[in-house]
Amino acid sequence: MIRNPYRAKRRTVLTGASAAAALGAASACGDDGGPAGTADDPIELSFEWWGNEDRAEITQQAVDLFQEKNEGIKIQTNFADFPEYWESMTTRMASQDLPDVFQMDYSRLRQFGGNGMLLPLDGVVDTSDFMEGFLDTGYVGDELLAVPIAGNTLGMLYRADWFDAAGVSLEAGYSWDDYHEYIKTVTADLGEDGKWGGGDYAGQYHFMELWLRQQGGSFYTDDGTALNFDKGQLTEWWSKTEELNSGGHVAPIDVTTQWEEDGMVLDAIGSEITWDNFLPWLAPTIEENGGTPALAAPPTSDPSNLGLYLKPSMQFVIAANTPNADPAGKLIDFMLTDPEAIKILGTNRGVPATNVGRENVEIDDISQQVLDYEASVEQYLTTPPPAPPAATGAIESKFGEVYEQVLYGELPVADAVDTFFTEAETLLQAEQ
Amino acid sequence: MSASPPTTAESKPGAAGEAGAPPVRGPRGAAGRRSSGIRGGERLAGYTFMLPWLIGTAVLTIGPMAWSLYLSFTDYHLIRGGEWTGLTNYRAVFDDPMFFRTVRVTLMYVAVSVPIKLVASLFVAMLLSQRRRGMGFYRAAFYMPSLIAMSVGVALIWKALFSNDGVQDSIMSSFGWEGGGFLGNPSVSILMLVLLAVWSFGAPMVIFLAGLMQVPQQLYEAAEVDGAGKWRKFVHITLPMLSPVIFFNVLMETVGAFQLFGPAYIIGGEAGAPAWSTLFYTVRIYTLAFTDFRMGFASAYAWILVLAVGIVTIIMFRAAKQLVFYAGEDR
Repeated sequence: MIRNPYRAKRRTVLTGASAAAALGAASACGDDGGPAGTADDPIELSFEWWGNEDRAEITQQAVDLFQEKNEGIKIQTNFADFPEYWESMTTRMASQDLPDVFQMDYSRLRQFGGNGMLLPLDGVVDTSDFMEGFLDTGYVGDELLAVPIAGNTLGMLYRADWFDAAGVSLEAGYSWDDYHEYIKTVTADLGEDGKWGGGDYAGQYHFMELWLRQQGGSFYTDDGTALNFDKGQLTEWWSKTEELNSGGHVAPIDVTTQWEEDGMVLDAIGSEITWDNFLPWLAPTIEENGGTPALAAPPTSDPSNLGLYLKPSMQFVIAANTPNADPAGKLIDFMLTDPEAIKILGTNRGVPATNVGRENVEIDDISQQVLDYEASVEQYLTTPPPAPPAATGAIESKFGEVYEQVLYGELPVADAVDTFFTEAETLLQAEQ
Repeated sequence: MSASPPTTAESKPGAAGEAGAPPVRGPRGAAGRRSSGIRGGERLAGYTFMLPWLIGTAVLTIGPMAWSLYLSFTDYHLIRGGEWTGLTNYRAVFDDPMFFRTVRVTLMYVAVSVPIKLVASLFVAMLLSQRRRGMGFYRAAFYMPSLIAMSVGVALIWKALFSNDGVQDSIMSSFGWEGGGFLGNPSVSILMLVLLAVWSFGAPMVIFLAGLMQVPQQLYEAAEVDGAGKWRKFVHITLPMLSPVIFFNVLMETVGAFQLFGPAYIIGGEAGAPAWSTLFYTVRIYTLAFTDFRMGFASAYAWILVLAVGIVTIIMFRAAKQLVFYAGEDR
């Protein structure tokens, strides 16, 4: 059943970036009524985000409320899944047809902000109520280009039922080697085809970044112009899980490559490093499968340094060429600080980043689990790395893509490392 | 294109190629017809009718091509623009770690899919050239897949058919296959795309069908009188009489196969999953241009493909001089 007209339009709008672009252009030209906007001749704003249908439904409710309270503003909404969303946004960035307000990911901030696509938000958005440290990640250089919606950090999501049954418990400070042993124990204990204690994690650049931070390093240099590790380190990282793979202790690549969903949701793996705000999204299905999801600190090479930092899980930004900066700012303020909107939006995007947000949001059991986890690792949180370079989206996919060749046995680790360095350096070069 | 099914005329002596496709005649046959005079008014009307096409070609094909040729000599960044860098991009293409992989995947696909597709389409065309009841239905039915094969929907269905425990895996497993679905197995994944190509053999099939209809029946009758069997008739009559059509099909299918993009992109994604085994040349161009934003470099990549396909085409025309027989020619 389709309940609101915006959702009904979604597919058609999504079919082509050009269609959406044309809409955006039309709405930009359409308002001759001056900046004020009236009920008869409203200002039109476009607002887009990534996420699933649930998120779309509550976001649309909040947007409807905003429109009720602000008669002169009409909002055109649109959403897509994460990969399609970014595919469309990068194409539209090229044609300068970005939506007025849209959801941003920290890893893409410099790609958009560094190319002058985003509006500086000082004086446009109310920045007085954010929790301490949260705004830091919205800066590119000296300019505040994004405001955080919520924060998250990495954690180990695991099936407490499987781990308990195998007699394994995760105490903060366990090492990567310990984690491998745990996986082996759980896989052996499960003793079932198609179920493993964990998955291969070495293809995710965020996890390598975590590992580098645990040793006091970082993935990129501070100015974001180069990789901040050498081939030896990458070789070590990509060799880490070799034994797990050859021994069949983790889900093999020809299986995982065909998964359309998260391995934990599919009831196939018992643990994975992931962003803690994914819990509200993953936990219900895991529970339906009869599992008990739990969060623990990720493995570390230094018990006193978990390498964690508080990252904005999502941000709001405004396109630099919007003719309606003020109404756009108003919409963002509303989403982040209006008590009613906060109630509607809940913790779908994570636990809110504003004080008024934290006071007004309803915390259910699952969100409480996330908050408890964040409190438990709070002492370990360190300064976030600067916004990653513009090429990071491409580098991130290249990282996974090249490592896949190792898993398939197509490339020896040494060749894979060389390939990745060549590709990453070319990409970084091309963005300078 | 000249894909319209031929009339039922099957035995007009010496008329091979008149009613059907121009390529049946080939470049030489066209020369004789040019002399008929056209008056000025008719010429104007002709160009007027061509105008929509001319505008479309200039604006949507020639213009962008010229622009991309220019871009290939710059370090054009999709958002920030770029500057003239001369031949740098062209040199860099050969240093690209992905270049030879994509070339290998693409050549492999061309080499495997084109012959299989053509043999299959010729075989079916021969079955369909018989005069039987309801043949029109069968012809339509076999042509149908080619209308939808390059669509997104079919590519998604293909993915499902070839996944682990999908149709292909289930069937092959019962014969002892242990490789799982083609979708996750890099050593055979390209076969998915080959099969997709073969399944969509409609266009060459219709052209073959037209060609088969033009082969004079009395040649077969004469051969039969001399005691020739089916195979001899096929090798000594059908193939030579069909050779211009075969040449045309080989050329079109090869050029088309080099440019395969849609299904490859949907099935393997930008990474050419699994393990770069479906990383086609065109997919690499797309990634460079729209994910990495290196439009200048991607343009150089694209123009190298244009050159390569051009060279292959020239080689084929050279080879055709030796191999293709045009009816009416003295040999």
